Parts: sequence; C-alpha cells; structure tokens
Amino acid sequence: MKAKLIEHALSVFFVIGAFVILVIVWKHVQKSEAEARIKLVEPYLNLGFLDYSDPLHRALLKETLDLYYPDRTAKNDSLLLAIESFRQEQFTNQAYKTGGEERGLSSEKLVKLGNMYGLFILVYLLVMVLSYRVAQSLAVLRFIQMKQNRSSYVAELYRYLVGSSPAKGNVSFYFKAISLLGKAVVKGIGYAVLFSPAYVIGYSVRSTFETDSYFFMIVLGVVSNGLLINYANKFFTYLVTESRKGYVQAAIVKNLNASYAWGAGDGMSIRSVFNPQSLYPSHVFSHIYVNARYQYLLSLKEHASFLITGLIIIEMALNIQGHLGYELMQDLLYKEYDVAICIIAGIFLIVKGTEIFADAWFHVESRKYENRA
Amino acid sequence: MGNGGSLSGSFYNQKDRLWLVIWVSGIIGLGLWDALFLNQPAFTLVRAAFGNTVVAGCLAVVLSIGFGWLLGVALHFLETRRRPVYLAVTFILNILRSIPQIVGILVGYIVLTVLIENEVLQSRFAQLAWMAFVISLFVFLEVVDLVRGRINHFSKLDFFHAMLCCGIKEHRIINREILWKNTRAHLFQKMVSIFGIAIFLQCSIDFIVSVGLSTDVSLSNFPVTLGNLLSRLDSKQDILAIGKAFTGLTDAQALLFQHLQGVSIAVLIVFTLLCVYKISNGLVSRFNL
Repeated sequence: MKAKLIEHALSVFFVIGAFVILVIVWKHVQKSEAEARIKLVEPYLNLGFLDYSDPLHRALLKETLDLYYPDRTAKNDSLLLAIESFRQEQFTNQAYKTGGEERGLSSEKLVKLGNMYGLFILVYLLVMVLSYRVAQSLAVLRFIQMKQNRSSYVAELYRYLVGSSPAKGNVSFYFKAISLLGKAVVKGIGYAVLFSPAYVIGYSVRSTFETDSYFFMIVLGVVSNGLLINYANKFFTYLVTESRKGYVQAAIVKNLNASYAWGAGDGMSIRSVFNPQSLYPSHVFSHIYVNARYQYLLSLKEHASFLITGLIIIEMALNIQGHLGYELMQDLLYKEYDVAICIIAGIFLIVKGTEIFADAWFHVESRKYENRA
Repeated sequence: MGNGGSLSGSFYNQKDRLWLVIWVSGIIGLGLWDALFLNQPAFTLVRAAFGNTVVAGCLAVVLSIGFGWLLGVALHFLETRRRPVYLAVTFILNILRSIPQIVGILVGYIVLTVLIENEVLQSRFAQLAWMAFVISLFVFLEVVDLVRGRINHFSKLDFFHAMLCCGIKEHRIINREILWKNTRAHLFQKMVSIFGIAIFLQCSIDFIVSVGLSTDVSLSNFPVTLGNLLSRLDSKQDILAIGKAFTGLTDAQALLFQHLQGVSIAVLIVFTLLCVYKISNGLVSRFNL
C-alpha cells in the first residue's frame, strides 16, 4: 500500500507540476504574442490623419503600401487584416469590456471555480455512491434470474403463445400475454434509457423537466451514458466467475442454502437484491457476493474516470451554466487555457482521490482476507 | 432455453450472432423507413454520418488493438529486462488512466482544430483517422491490461518454459502461441466492446464540439458524424419531440414521419450501443471468457 501511495503522490506532483509549467508557458506565449501584434500594428494606428472606419482611407493605405512595397502584396494584405482584427477586438474582446468579470486566472476566478468544484465533487460523490449500489443490485437481480433459468420476456411470451396452455382462449390467457408484452416493452424502454447518451435523454425531456437542476443531473449521471449497465455487467461477470469456483460446490455439498427461488425459506428475498449483505451466511450466495464485491472494489478506479466523463458530457452538452463542465467549455471556446488547465487539474485530482480511496479500501479488505485485520 | 417452440434452437442461444443479425436488420429496416419517409438531403446526411461514425469506430478499434498488443508485449519484455524503463512507462500509463476520456479527447479535438486551421489535415478521411487515433489513445489501455494478463497467466504454465527450453524465441511464444492462438477470442470480444465505447465517445465529443466549441473552424470543415448531425437545430427539435410525445403534447405518430432525422440519429446511436453490448456479452458466454 505504501508503494501505491508513493506512486499516487508522485503522479499528482508530476501532473500538477506539468500543468503549472503549461500555465506559465501559456501566459508567456500569450504576452509575447500580444506584444508582437501591438508592435506590428501600432505605427499604423498612430497615423492620426487616417480614419480606419472610412473605407476610402483603408483603400488609400492599401494602395500606398502596395506602391512602397510592390513585391510583398500578400504581406500588405495580412497587415491590413491584422489592423482590422486588432480594431475589431477593441470592441468585441471580453478582456476590454468594463463591468464584466476579469479574464484569466485571478483570485476572484479561483473562488468562483472553487465553488463550482465543490458542487461538482458533491454531485460526483452522490452519483458514485448511487451507481455503485444500483449497479450491484441490478447485477444481483440478473444473477438470480439466471439461476432461476429465466429467459427474456419476449422469449417467454413466444413460448407462452405457441405452447399448450390449459387457459388458452380464456381471458386470463390474454391477460398474461398482454402482461408479458407490457413487461417486454418496459424492459426495452429501460434498456433504451440506460444506453442513451445523456444529451439524448436531456433534450428529449427538456420541455417537460427542469434539466438544469442538480437532481436531474444526478439522475442523468446515474442512468445515462451506459454507466450503470456497464458496471452492473462487470459485477455480474464477477458473480458468475465466483459461482463457478470450487468452494461454491463444496459449500452446496455441505448443505448451505443454494435455492434462488423468491420467497422460499432457503431462497432469496427481494430485500437481498437491494441489500445483498442482508443475506444470511447460511446461503451460498452471500459468500459469492462477498468475494465478487472484493474484486469489484478496484473497478471503482475506472468507474471514476467514466463517471466524470459522463458528468462533463451532461454539463457541456446541456449547456448547464454555472457548472464546472460548462465553465471548461467556455474557457476552451475563448482560449482561456490557463483556467481550462486549472479545471482539468482539479478533475485529475478527483480521479486520483478516488483511486487512492479504492486502493486503500482494497488494502483493508485484503487484510481481512489474509486474517491480518 | 426451456421446453417450448423452435425458439430453443442453437441460433437463439448464440446471443452474439443473434444480436448481430438484430443490429444489421434494425439498421436496414431503419434505412428503408428513412428512404421512404425522410427527405433526400437529410437521408444522405444520415447515411454519411452513420458511415463516418462506423469507419471512425472501426479505425479506433484497429488502432487500440495495435497499440495495446504492441505495448502489452513491450511491457512484458521491459519488466524482465529493463526495470527502470518499465516503471517509467507504467507510471505514464497510470497517469493516462487517471485522465477522464472526455477531457483527453477534448484536448485532441483542440489539436485537430489547430491542424485544420493550419491546413495540415485537409482530407475528411485524415480528420476521421485523427479522431479515431485520439479516442484509441484513451481506450487502448484496456487491451494492454488484457494482453498483460494473458501473458502473465500463460507464462506461469509449464508449456511456456518447455517451449523456451526447445529454443523457441520468447517473442514468438508470446505473439503466436499465447496471443494469436489462445487470446484471439478475448481480443475479439475486447474489439467489440471498444467499438461501442468508441462510438459513444465519438458521438458525445462531436455533439459537444458542435454545440459549443467550434468557432474558428466551421462545422462544415468537420466530416459529418452522428454526434454533430444530432447537434444541429433541426435534429435537436426532433429530439425534443420525443419527450413531448410521451407527455401527449405531440402526436407520437409525428415522430415517425415529421421528426425522422433526429429520431433516426438517436435510434442509430442507442440501438448500436445496445446491440454492441449484447454482442459483447454473447461472445463472453459463447467462448466462456
């Protein structure tokens, strides 16, 4: 664990150091570029007899330049363009506007970013905890259904319709068929939501819900972008792998409960789906779950990276103003790269923090397994 | 499958093939519907966007597998022969792992914009290839982990040492015996899942870039993809209509005829992601991965 912590600390120092250097280099480049531009256009702007807003004066300047420097007409055109864009910037550049906020990394900006960052971490933590729990529940449910030999609702409906049911032709027959069809449709819609990118869901419900709210962002963060379904699938894979191991067969031979029927005395309860730790140790699944969860802990690392990807997509794609992702997009748009680098460094720290937490948790759990706790 | 009907055939149980057929049929079905009811310019755009997205996704898969294989094998040799270099490379890779994909890809797109502005990348294919390259940089680590895991597993078995004793070169054992002969199914499954991730990331980044980032470079300079086509105003209005259809504000029927462009793109993205997930899971079951 010590080696891991050292590696994490080193990578944090390395990346933050690289970002600081980048910011310094960027500021320097920006400053020297601005100075070079001013140096280029200043002599021409100081010609008091020229009115650059008058097209005639501009044309005269061009002709004069072409007369004096006939062999560099392209350069003359570029110079005129540079003068024009410099003048335009005096009116349009955010940096020259009074009353607006200061551009670049100022203390005021850092406080603003700090608030956004705090809220981003809060949303991140909530989505992380929720998706971690719900993904496990979905995986457990799928595992139990697999053990119950349940097939898809569509296959069940097909078998029901073509099979020989004693109730065929009765109202109850049609009722069950419609119920199966309904379940299949609901499951299909559920899949569509789980695999939808956040912006598809966001835009489709924009006229109905307040999509800028934190609640909506958290819900969207959990259910969209395939996050939940992929991590549920990962946990399900661990459950299946564990269930194939020898100790499970040995436990069954030693009379541990191994029934996966709902509500049976030695079977599973709905509660165990939502809280798998509530199962009695006398059921073999509780051991499968504990061992699968142990391996799943390290998945939190990649979960963190993917979750942040999802949150940034939500904030950027839905243009949720006042959020960190939106701010990052604005900074990239207006080439405020120093602020953008600062935000990216913050995001990197969140992922690193989660990685350190996951490693520590895994270490603690490993000590339990090795009877060193 | 249980006791009823011909549905219990082997094809139904091979979920990867079943879902591949469902995906292809779904795309063809949607294409036919669009050919009948979507206006010709929009249909052309949707086809081009889907084609470009799939091409970029496939390129990302090929690049990821290539990088992952090369680096996975290289790391194995570095670990045993050049320990300091190995530590330095894994350190860099772990840093890369800690950067959320979307952030890294955004930076890659800024570089793309600069390259287009400076007329370095002019052809559409080169731009798609660049997108695929950037995406592959942030997903190929999954392949590295897989390759490393397989090499570690097999190098502990007797056959590895026996082959070394027989004078077979280590790189040949790793590349041919371990990776080519014994990891193809794993790599194939990984390729499918990376294809899904690449499609998702590409659509998302194109959507974001088109919605709020491209000012210096006109949208028309970028190759049309599902993501940037979805970000257009008419497509977004079509997507808004989906929610309205559920709340009864818009006739659900209109979704199938009037709002077809946006709805088709959304369906293409979601349906592709779902099918890729199912195909990947099917491969896991079929090959017992």
